[in-house]
Amino acid sequence: MAADNEPESEVFEITDFTTASEWERFISKVEEVLNDWKLIGNSLGKPLEKGIFTSGTWEEKSDEISFADFKFSVTHHYLVQESTDKEGKELLEDVIPQSMQDLLCMNNDFPPRAHCLVRWYGLREFVVIAPAAHSDAVLSESKCNLLLSSVSIALGNTGCQVPLFVQIHHKWRRMYVGECQGPGVRTDFEMVHLRKVPNQYTHLSGLLDIFKSKIGCPLTPLPPVSIAIRFTYVLQDWQQYFWPQQPPDIDALVGGEVGGLEFGKLPFGACEDPISELHLATTWPHLTEGIIVDNDVYSDLDPIQAPHWSVRVRKAENPQCLLGDFVTEFFKICRRKESTDEILGRSAFEEEGKETADITHALSKLTEPASVPIHKLSVSNMVHTAKKKIRKHRGVEESPLNNDVLNTILLFLFPDAVSEKSLDGTASTDNNNPPSESEDYNLYNQFKSAPSDSLTYKLALCLCMINFYHGGLKGVAHLWQEFVLEMRFRWENNFLIPGLASGPPDLRCCLLHQKLQMLNCCIERKKARDEGKKTSASDVTNIYPGDAGKAGDQLVPDNLKETDKEKGEVGKSWDSWSDSEEEFFECLSDTEELKGNGQESGKKGGPKEMASLRPEGRLYQHGKLTLLHNGEPLYIPVTQEPAPMTEDLLEEQSEVLAKLGTSAEGAHLRARMQSACLLSDMESFKAANPGCSLEDFVRWYSPRDYIEEEVIDEKGNVVLKGELSARMKIPSNMWVEAWETAKPIPARRQRRLFDDTREAEKVLHYLAIQKPADLARHLLPCVIHAAVLKVKEEESLENISSVKKIIKQIISHSSKVLHFPNPEDKKLEEIIHQITNVEALIARARSLKAKFGTEKCEQEEEKEDLERFVSCLLEQPEVLVTGAGRGHAGRIIHKLFVNAQRAAAMTPPEEELKRMGSPEERRQNSVSDFPPPAGREFILRTTVPRPAPYSKALPQRMYSVLTKEDFRLAAPQVCPGRQLLPGAGIEANLQEKPTHSRHVEAAGRSPARIQLGCNGNNATKNP
Amino acid sequence: MDEDVLTTLKILIIGESGVGKSSLLLRFTDDTFDPELAATIGVDFKVKTISVDGNKAKLAIWDTAGQERFRTLTPSYYRGAQGVILVYDVTRRDTFVKLDNWLNELETYCTRNDIVNMLVGNKIDKENREVDRNEGLKFARKHSMLFIEASAKTCDGVQCAFEELVEKIIQTPGLWESENQNKGVKLSHREEGQGGGACGGYCSVL
Ligand SMILES: Nc1nc2c(ncn2[C@@H]2O[C@H](COP(=O)(O)OP(=O)(O)OP(=O)(O)O)[C@@H](O)[C@H]2O)c(=O)[nH]1
Ligand SMILES: [Mg+2]
Repeated sequence: MAADNEPESEVFEITDFTTASEWERFISKVEEVLNDWKLIGNSLGKPLEKGIFTSGTWEEKSDEISFADFKFSVTHHYLVQESTDKEGKELLEDVIPQSMQDLLCMNNDFPPRAHCLVRWYGLREFVVIAPAAHSDAVLSESKCNLLLSSVSIALGNTGCQVPLFVQIHHKWRRMYVGECQGPGVRTDFEMVHLRKVPNQYTHLSGLLDIFKSKIGCPLTPLPPVSIAIRFTYVLQDWQQYFWPQQPPDIDALVGGEVGGLEFGKLPFGACEDPISELHLATTWPHLTEGIIVDNDVYSDLDPIQAPHWSVRVRKAENPQCLLGDFVTEFFKICRRKESTDEILGRSAFEEEGKETADITHALSKLTEPASVPIHKLSVSNMVHTAKKKIRKHRGVEESPLNNDVLNTILLFLFPDAVSEKSLDGTASTDNNNPPSESEDYNLYNQFKSAPSDSLTYKLALCLCMINFYHGGLKGVAHLWQEFVLEMRFRWENNFLIPGLASGPPDLRCCLLHQKLQMLNCCIERKKARDEGKKTSASDVTNIYPGDAGKAGDQLVPDNLKETDKEKGEVGKSWDSWSDSEEEFFECLSDTEELKGNGQESGKKGGPKEMASLRPEGRLYQHGKLTLLHNGEPLYIPVTQEPAPMTEDLLEEQSEVLAKLGTSAEGAHLRARMQSACLLSDMESFKAANPGCSLEDFVRWYSPRDYIEEEVIDEKGNVVLKGELSARMKIPSNMWVEAWETAKPIPARRQRRLFDDTREAEKVLHYLAIQKPADLARHLLPCVIHAAVLKVKEEESLENISSVKKIIKQIISHSSKVLHFPNPEDKKLEEIIHQITNVEALIARARSLKAKFGTEKCEQEEEKEDLERFVSCLLEQPEVLVTGAGRGHAGRIIHKLFVNAQRAAAMTPPEEELKRMGSPEERRQNSVSDFPPPAGREFILRTTVPRPAPYSKALPQRMYSVLTKEDFRLAAPQVCPGRQLLPGAGIEANLQEKPTHSRHVEAAGRSPARIQLGCNGNNATKNP
Repeated sequence: MDEDVLTTLKILIIGESGVGKSSLLLRFTDDTFDPELAATIGVDFKVKTISVDGNKAKLAIWDTAGQERFRTLTPSYYRGAQGVILVYDVTRRDTFVKLDNWLNELETYCTRNDIVNMLVGNKIDKENREVDRNEGLKFARKHSMLFIEASAKTCDGVQCAFEELVEKIIQTPGLWESENQNKGVKLSHREEGQGGGACGGYCSVL
């Protein structure tokens, strides 16, 4: 058997596995795995350093094998060590295997966190065969025996010296039996697990008795037994520190007193104490028999006196955390299918017969005179009207948000609604932004959210808060509906939306933010047009020029301010140059005419010969250039601004352009489609520069395409001679074509490149059809952004370096996830989970600081030590208490226990502090300072020759742990193994099987120890 | 033929007007040089499939107009681009000087920070060179870009430029995959298996 991986056996053996039993196949699979993992032979590693089990890295490798149709997983667990000479992996004669040597190593007793086999046996490496399915178990004794014999055979056949364990019984019992074989020596790893502890094993002297009889040492007196003991005490009752963190009082927030900013604050912290228990481990690392007494009636093992103290804290599993809940609840909206209408009741948006959803209908309204602007806009006013509209369709009591809450929120979102001067639109440009260079501020860039001072961001927070505190989904739908109404209101009444950076949509922000910016662009343009119309219509005769200029300044975004430079005054009446105003770019009063050709005002400029036209729409004179034909100065025209675009529009556009394909016609069409702007600029240029040519245009527009060379003319003078570049001279190229088509028309009379009316209606429609779920998806980046900022802010109060690092990771992770158009829910959940974890971490730090009273600590040095101690508690599985029970931290811990004990015994709490005197005094008190230990661990070790006094001395060890629920004794039996003689079967070993377990069995347990069956023997005689 | 295409990569060509962006692209896609190429209006678009290291990649290349006035349109095309080719004309120093502006724009509008940038100095066939190769090299190093000099006219370096760029993109993890997996932060590794007792794992005594 196992011949398939031993090439030399091929020579004479016909490998016929047709008759092999399942069992044989199983063994050969085990051997195969051991071979694959190169666990053959003995390689002695370095002696184990102190604490390496905790500080080092453990890794594991797994494979699956089956016994008939029962699946087992085989796992190799090992401490990663710097590869000591791996090549020296040949069999070292006469050296006992590493694992047996490690039994005696005292450097890693009681590791704070380790695989139980490591804890029990001090192993640095082992292999476990366990049922693959979690619920499966090997229960029957015969099966256990079969497995253990398989292990034995596999080890023998392969020469593997790594201990090999089998997990038997139900997994929760952590029952393992195993074996390790070395040259002339073997270890049987056996254990006892009992629910009830026999009395004689609850103390050291009883355990020593077992140990001694177990090792059956032939010597008298016995060699000394070394002892390591650890008692663990649990503190659950934290007495004076009660946790409950008050959830923020939301009613106070919306009561009106507190400003809107408060409303944007996120909740933070754990609702329950995130630290549930403190475990104090008192350790006597190195005792020898006889030094101390610990028996039925008396014990020297006073925790206060223990030379080593270490502490760990048990964290509440998933403590409820406010911020985490807050974000999670919001995220849940993403999965809701209902539309706003369905949530609020049908046709909430159909107000006064207006079908917002129908764009064409909405468009037709535009031909009607614009609605009269309300000059003093107040939120309550707005809310009132909006309410009324809704009330028409459903009872007000159904409204999930009450008026106060809604008012407060709307005020927070639209602060301009209260201030007097808000209406001129300055609200949108006020610059109370936080330093926009700061890393935090620019986070929106990475998260694709929105700036933290923007309307979008605030809206996200409000919706989040509503969802959490004010009626969940219904509240969200309600607020959104109000918000959309407000947007329409602003569009119709020319009020700029506050809290948005001016200019075209910022593609680095979320789409919703871009849409709002787009709407603002539309409002700006419409407002400018309406203002212009008003001015010219209402005051035909005159207006103070400065006023007109100023008006322009406020109405028009930066990029349109050119008009300002025209230093204009009012020209002819509106009607004189337009009969369908929507078609045109802008309607600011014409200025050139009065300046230059005032007498002509009122005349309609019909198409005339270019040169004879009066110039129109000049922006300013170009520095030096003059027109090539007539030497007039060249004027730069007022041009139309290109259309602002949101990312979805751009996407659409580029898709259309890409669809045209790569053929020449496609390319031509593509260029034509994009030439509207070029044509418009050419027309503006022609209007501003009567008598100009394409060369003039190109010199302004694309100077590199006008090539000037110095040439010597016939008179021998050096003159500059210029011409169009070769590519501009190609006959009927798009530029020439466009130039020929272009008519001299100033920008303001051209067709609008950007149809603000249509775009605004598109945005409003888009907003109106967003379901709460869509909304939540749009705004989730903002919410995550806010949550990260919140966590950052809270961390800065505590200054926990590990948390800083995690926050950095969260940021970089989130920015990766959020940059993709449709991030997977799983990834979003993960981010939220990470944020919650950090929140819990900070809450834990706070809880611990309170418990250890770091703030109360007066001495600077002690305080620092204590703070370091507390932060170690958070980060490390177990922390050593410097000075044990006598150190600063130790005294605090002691006091915590005393208080808890006192409370449990109902002693009046007053005197306790006085009582903290000498240890003697304490001892006399009836209430002991510590509760009975929740766990007692003993490790007993010695080296004895076996079986005869002259035999080789072998390591012996026994580990026992005693907790409330159970008792476990793990005692590897190291004994001289079979000499590797041919024919020496397992049976021989079996006979040697010690009788040490008698004690245990006498104690009345059902043995989990395995007696090997005789079928093990048969196996070795396999053909 | 599309079946074995590994991925589609979006590449953008930018730079001052007249530096030869469209000519470089035409050379790459059609292997010709057309002196009668009109100045680009808006953006143009070409597709080519190439194979680098045995990986086939379909390149969707957007050629933008360098002309100032069209530039307001182009930022949108930076979105989602995995590679950017920034071109200057070695015979016109002003096109080299303007590179800083282009980088600024790139920084502002690029949606991802791991985008691969390549600097190309074009028209090396011409005699009146104004920008030394070393200057280009220095600039590229300073801004962590790939660098190559090329000529759309003579074909020098063109193929190579595109291939390098694609190779680099493919080597940049997370850039060409639509989603980058396994980058998550593991915060909750080996949480305490308290009370569970199923000991495949690691645990403490209590
Ligand atoms: N000698 C030479 N001329 C070139 C080279 N590449 C381009 N040109 C010429 O340079 C001029 C401009 O080339 P284009 O490819 O149109 O430039 P572009 O960068 O696309 O310009 P825009 O579309 O305006 O941004 C054309 O006349 C080309 O013939 C080159 O490598 N060598
Ligand atoms: Mg071009």
